[in-house]
Amino acid sequence: MIELQHLTKRYDDTLAVDDLSFNVEPGHVTGFLGPNGAGKSTTLRLILGLDAPTSGQALINGRRYASLSKPMFEVGALLDAGAVHGGRSAYNHLLCLATTNGIGATRVADVLEQVGLRDVARKRVAGFSLGMKQRLGIAAALLGDPGVLLFDEPVNGLDPDGVRWIRDLMRSLAAEGRTVLLSSHLMSEMALTAERIVVLGRGRLVAHSTVAELTARYPSLEDAYMALTASSVQFGAAR
Amino acid sequence: MRAALLAEWLKLRSVTSTWRAMGAAALMAVLGVVWTIYVSGLADERGTLQAAAPEQGFLPLLQMSLTVLGVLAITSEYATGMIRASLTVVPRRGTLLLAKAVVVGLATLTAGHVILLVTYSASRLIADNHRLGFNETSLTDDVPMLLAAGISVTALALVGLGLGVATRSTAGAITSVVALLFILPGVVGYLPAPWNTRAASLLLPNLVPQLVGDRLSSRLGDGLLPPWAALLALLAYPATALGAGFILLKRRDV
Amino acid sequence: MSVLASEWRKVRSVRSSYLIVGISIGTILLGLALASMAAGMYDNAPMEQRPSARIADLEEVLVIVPQLCMGVLGTLVITSEYTTGLIRTSLTIVPRRWPVLAAKSAVVGTMSLVIAPLAVFGTYFVSRWVLGDRFSGAYLTSFADRLPFLLVTSLTVAVFALLGLGLGALLRSAAGAITVLVGLIYVIPMIVGNIPEPWSERLGSIMIGALPREITGDIITTSVYGSLLSPPAAAAVLVAYAVLPLLAAVWLIRRRDA
Repeated sequence: MIELQHLTKRYDDTLAVDDLSFNVEPGHVTGFLGPNGAGKSTTLRLILGLDAPTSGQALINGRRYASLSKPMFEVGALLDAGAVHGGRSAYNHLLCLATTNGIGATRVADVLEQVGLRDVARKRVAGFSLGMKQRLGIAAALLGDPGVLLFDEPVNGLDPDGVRWIRDLMRSLAAEGRTVLLSSHLMSEMALTAERIVVLGRGRLVAHSTVAELTARYPSLEDAYMALTASSVQFGAAR
Repeated sequence: MRAALLAEWLKLRSVTSTWRAMGAAALMAVLGVVWTIYVSGLADERGTLQAAAPEQGFLPLLQMSLTVLGVLAITSEYATGMIRASLTVVPRRGTLLLAKAVVVGLATLTAGHVILLVTYSASRLIADNHRLGFNETSLTDDVPMLLAAGISVTALALVGLGLGVATRSTAGAITSVVALLFILPGVVGYLPAPWNTRAASLLLPNLVPQLVGDRLSSRLGDGLLPPWAALLALLAYPATALGAGFILLKRRDV
Repeated sequence: MSVLASEWRKVRSVRSSYLIVGISIGTILLGLALASMAAGMYDNAPMEQRPSARIADLEEVLVIVPQLCMGVLGTLVITSEYTTGLIRTSLTIVPRRWPVLAAKSAVVGTMSLVIAPLAVFGTYFVSRWVLGDRFSGAYLTSFADRLPFLLVTSLTVAVFALLGLGLGALLRSAAGAITVLVGLIYVIPMIVGNIPEPWSERLGSIMIGALPREITGDIITTSVYGSLLSPPAAAAVLVAYAVLPLLAAVWLIRRRDA
């Protein structure tokens, strides 16, 4: 369960996130939509305590993220698949992260197997394709078997196999009773994966609804998105 | 904390840049051997020599290499974006920085002293009975100097780490350390006497000789600090850099 | 030509360039501060100490600041592209590759040739102005006599920029290139100074720091460097410092995978 309460983030003269309040419930995949610069990534960073909110707060299972002592067991996150030291092997990269929370090498091997990177585990990440890096980032999020998962654009760069794999993974994670927040620009994919949708525009909450409701009101999820964000496609914050 | 330490240790040893920096540092021993062979040969022709001790002459190489190691321990995370993942899995930023400082500190303290000791022993073995100036003191006389040099290496590596956190830039942090290690002493040395000696006494590279009661250089003469004050000053440098880094890391968005 | 314009835009559009240029020119302020300090010390010193008080030429001492700064800038214009991956785009749109390095050289070289004289001459005039006839007129050399040295010293800053660029292109790592650059400027001369003669003098003569005085024939005995080279030979060595790493980098960048 993720709770956002009047979350606000201001960079100099731009409001990246503007009084955002909504909850992400466990048990289903929640799609996180909005034009580029709408504040999605900023919101994720605020939830993870990487950026400090100007006002308001984000709570995970009722607690601030920064107060978690072993956060990997509660929250897994994929922010930027490219943010990996290219000189490390996939295995060492995951082990670096896992060790901080007391997670052992066996679990690292397990998640590498789960995301299909077992055969390249000892290869340097610099040689990975974007799709492989996405799988590595997802593996990192899964290490602690957490109840809350955040994924920022995990589908980018994946091949059709990978896209289907990630769709099934998201749905099965949610079906196990986890909270899954998934940001993406691929509407058709979102329509197949998510049950609930949160739409941001210029840092504000534009819609919080179920996919079923939206597709009932509009011809498709894509049309719903276009209509809801029509007034906010101008770039807001650059971050 | 133990977990964070283990993770930082793994981070440090799982990138090649660490081993390149260690390799560059270990070059000191190789150069020390070459140097001693060369001056021993000269001594065969000329008799007695006053040659510089390799563990002192090549010390800047060791300091510089391991400082780069300290800088890269944090700036490589900023350059790749890995810092976000690191602070996501260790949300307490002080813990992350402390773990890095301990790991960088222990790694450079060990590597620095081992390399210094190898350079020292190899050169004394090769020098044998030649009278080279530097090999006419006993090991017990030289141990304080070796320890002081080793501590200065770690102090610099931690200054590098602190500046790396503060600047978030490899180039910025390395250049700042270079300013501290080479430019500032150069500039201060050109002040009119006696102010050059006064100011130079406080600079990091000059704390090593003061720590063991040696003079700074033939031009600058004796430093102003007694050994205990030199040690305090040597510890104050990394403490200040890491403190500044910690405050910035704590306050800044990642 | 378009490659040149593009490289110029790249340099202008990152914040670190402004910081580096700012610090380079800020050398003048450092010179002002040091000269003022020295003047204050001189004025407060007892009369009998004054005749023996000495001070070095501040522009010669402080030129290491713009040298290091522009060397770092030269390094960053290429290594930042390797860090961010922009280099692949750069080499894709200029497939012959060498024009990229040539354009970068032209940009950082020209920048250095503008900034270095500002810093060097600025420090020269500021320190003369502040110190006046203190320190037994240590600064009595006329401007005309000093001019060749000031010009060559300014030129060394451009050599550092190109050397930094060459090393950056060879090593593809800011940390590696800056460390080697620092090694060349500071660490090796310190080691060379400790070598017994005749090698100390021989190697000391080809250190970058020795070259300006060898080129202008302005030899001083107190220098830590050697002075064996004739002016043309010293000039050739200075050019070689800038050109050889760049040529090696051009050779390598055309063969290496981006």
